[in-house]
Amino acid sequence: MAIEEAAVPETTTKRAFVPTPRGWVARGAVWAAIAWFVLCYPGNFLSPFEVRSLEADAATQAIVFAVIALSLNVLIGYAGQISLGHQAFVGFGSFSSAYVVTDLEQEFWMGLVVAALVGAIQAVVLGAVALRLSGLYFALITLSYGVMAEESIFNIESFTGGDAGKDAPRPIGFESNYRYYYLCLGILAVVLWIDWRMMRTKGGRALLALRENPRVAASLGINVKAFTLLAFAVGGAFAGIGGSLLAHRDLTVVRVNFEFRLALVFVLMTVVGGLRSRSGVVLGAAFFALLGNGKLLDLLHLGWFFEDKLSLPIDFVPLVVGPLLLLLTLTMYPGGIGQQIAPVREWLLGKRFDRHAGKVKEVQITDVRA
Amino acid sequence: MSVLEVTNLSITFGGVRALNEVSMRVSEWEIVGIIGPNGAGKTTLFNCVTGFYAPTAGRVRYRHHDITDMPVHRRAALGIGRTFQNVGLVKGSTALENLLTAQHLEVGYDTLAGMFGVPKSFAEEEKLRRRAGMLLEMLRLEDVAGERAADLPYGVLKRLEIATVLAADPDLLLLDEPGSGMGPEEAHALGDTLLEIRAEFGVTIVMIDHHVPLVTRVSDYVYCLNFGEVLAEGPPDVVRNHPEVVRAYLGEDPDAPINEAEMEATLAEAGEPV
Amino acid sequence: MIVAAAPLSEQLGNALVIGVITGAVYSLLAVGIVLVYKASGVFNFAQGEFGTVAVYLAYVASDGNYWGLPFGIALVIGLAGAVALGLLTERLVIRPLFDAPRVTLLVATAGVALFAIGVQFWRFNDPAIRSFPAIFKESARITVLGIRISDQRILILLVLAALAVVLVAFFRSPLGLAVLAASQEPVASELVGVSVRKISSLTWALAALFGGLAGILQAAPNGGIGSFQPGFLTFGGNGALIPGFTAAVLGGMGSLPGAVGGGLIIGVVEALGGLSLFEEVPGARSVMVFGILLLVLLVRPQGLFVRRAAH
Repeated sequence: MAIEEAAVPETTTKRAFVPTPRGWVARGAVWAAIAWFVLCYPGNFLSPFEVRSLEADAATQAIVFAVIALSLNVLIGYAGQISLGHQAFVGFGSFSSAYVVTDLEQEFWMGLVVAALVGAIQAVVLGAVALRLSGLYFALITLSYGVMAEESIFNIESFTGGDAGKDAPRPIGFESNYRYYYLCLGILAVVLWIDWRMMRTKGGRALLALRENPRVAASLGINVKAFTLLAFAVGGAFAGIGGSLLAHRDLTVVRVNFEFRLALVFVLMTVVGGLRSRSGVVLGAAFFALLGNGKLLDLLHLGWFFEDKLSLPIDFVPLVVGPLLLLLTLTMYPGGIGQQIAPVREWLLGKRFDRHAGKVKEVQITDVRA
Repeated sequence: MSVLEVTNLSITFGGVRALNEVSMRVSEWEIVGIIGPNGAGKTTLFNCVTGFYAPTAGRVRYRHHDITDMPVHRRAALGIGRTFQNVGLVKGSTALENLLTAQHLEVGYDTLAGMFGVPKSFAEEEKLRRRAGMLLEMLRLEDVAGERAADLPYGVLKRLEIATVLAADPDLLLLDEPGSGMGPEEAHALGDTLLEIRAEFGVTIVMIDHHVPLVTRVSDYVYCLNFGEVLAEGPPDVVRNHPEVVRAYLGEDPDAPINEAEMEATLAEAGEPV
Repeated sequence: MIVAAAPLSEQLGNALVIGVITGAVYSLLAVGIVLVYKASGVFNFAQGEFGTVAVYLAYVASDGNYWGLPFGIALVIGLAGAVALGLLTERLVIRPLFDAPRVTLLVATAGVALFAIGVQFWRFNDPAIRSFPAIFKESARITVLGIRISDQRILILLVLAALAVVLVAFFRSPLGLAVLAASQEPVASELVGVSVRKISSLTWALAALFGGLAGILQAAPNGGIGSFQPGFLTFGGNGALIPGFTAAVLGGMGSLPGAVGGGLIIGVVEALGGLSLFEEVPGARSVMVFGILLLVLLVRPQGLFVRRAAH
């Protein structure tokens, strides 16, 4: 084609920044610390600290929330679709996985796959509705759907086991909290890989384009409807996976766990984490998870402040602190946690340290203002 | 055969006839200009041709395809590229990313394969980057490759938009006011760029613009629209001196004696050398 | 309340009566939702919480363990609290985000709702379920279609009717017209001297008032029955927020009478979900509500009562 045939002079571009040897060492040290904290510390592996089983379990919750936040980020951040019934996708994944393992007596891995599929299908059906509605009305539909799932679908006894719930045993070899943590970590890594590759290739670029400017996207040949549905499928699949991991962490799935409140907390942690920032969203989710199960406050020795001084039970701290952080994010720090850590993140990836990296002007879900 | 053929196109919006029996024919490698006052229906015509609007009557034919009912992205796949009045780019992405996105139709792996990180996708991405780099150089945009489109000045954005529309390897380019915001010298340079692009890429161009001298110099054929109808058509000089066209732009009775001073002033404003 | 063995016609009659009563609460919420939507273009997810805040404040004001004030005063305090929350939300959340995309504002109001619920859980979780002192006797003065309607329910309907009259009068008054004008043409309104900011505050205050009334009516004792728990208007089996939104959508999201009508319709449809016909379907009521919402949005998005197509 003509583009390749055109003569291309060898131009000298500006020399890209390369860190000094000391710079490399510094970055390497930080990477090593992060790796140790994530890979070794929670599993008592190569670690002088003793982490109790319950704490490993708390860490697992952080990982699972991260998967869920990533799934919501695909919908809200990449595709610009607001989903306020996300706990339904997650819950469906949980129950499906439990059902497959308990009632159908399959392996955990089959349960995981089924959960992903169920999440994807459910999401695509809702996505087809989204194609016909504007953002606000679609948000309403997802809200209503979430309530319906909670009241109706999750009440089908044969599927969800009624009040007693369904058992969700862990796979052989991963029964202990420590081992299960590593399993979830591995799956988070897979989810991150797919998310990364998606955004670095044709699919992700199509999503970003259609979110911001569907007309231009279409005129570049992007099938806006198809790619929107793809985003729902991917987001739904990730949610289903998160649901499965959640189920087998709790060992029993009860419908009460998938209340409406959870949907708002999920949205909170994704927006506060920072839309379209993988690392921000993961950190946001971990933050909310560890806040909710008390481990964060334990670590910071702040438990007394909430429990004694404010008599605010740990369980409800995210409900009170979360919205305040949301308001902060929406009005003053639109890039959320992702924006705050952007300078460090860029530095770790070998670029020069830039305090102004990752500047975001406003929380942009969609562009519709009127 | 013609590249683009619009036959008796009409479209009505809530009682207003925005286009009324408009017919147009564009031949291979032609540059066709469309002029006319604001609100004449020029962009509406583009929107019908590209598929954003569905006409109430008439057909649109691209080569041997009747595309009147085809969705927008399928028309793009056939080889129709288009620029927009308020610069059609993904503002949140960098210039390079925009050029990668624009190559959507040229990508050699399929979406799912890309998502799972299949080895072929990496090699293909490299190829896309090289192509994007070449386009950036061709339009003197290498320095802003890593800048977000939202941060770039208007003139640069216009060039970037042309780069993106070329990236998809189109046969027919529909340019909606490529010269807007430009002064007479810039418009002249743009004209050179357009002629170059036609020569290098072998594309057919249809352009809407208000710079009458630009359109006149560069076009092989010109249509003038007013109130949704074709007022005049023909070679540029014929159309430019057509009394109806003059009246549409200058709003005067063509039989009345011409006020030389006023005419000079108006022509100077339109960028015409006086 | 619906006896399974009763014949279908009787069940339908019951559903109608009960539906209208529960629908009245939905109407109140829907009116608040539409008011805010007309004023700020925002879907206010905190509308339900205006109600629960009113209820909890009234509870604190009236209960012997807290302030122990007479019930009437407690109610006024509750409503005042709701209005205060509405004004606060408008000032601290809506105004700073005035230019933001509408979806962002929706998320912000959802955050407000969550915060209110968090505070409720914080302060009133032990025990979670509370109730007002019984001020109405069990006696049912009226029997309609076989259903005994308690004093409380009569009060709800009376309040709604009174409100309808007041609303009609209000929107014909200069102030009411200003509210409507400001919502449709803010710039033009400012030019003729209408302070859009003040009108915005007023609208939110009104919406919060209606929300507060809805909450109190929903929680008011009904012969000893009638309780509330954190977030009861927004979440849970008897959550009224989503039916309220559905009602607003039914009414065309711009029409106040439509919102009232929509609320009553939703109430009845939801009550139909309680028919023995649907015994086997768990959560039939929420399925009904979801079904109606989906149907209206896909088939007739401008609502049932509006003739011209909405945006």
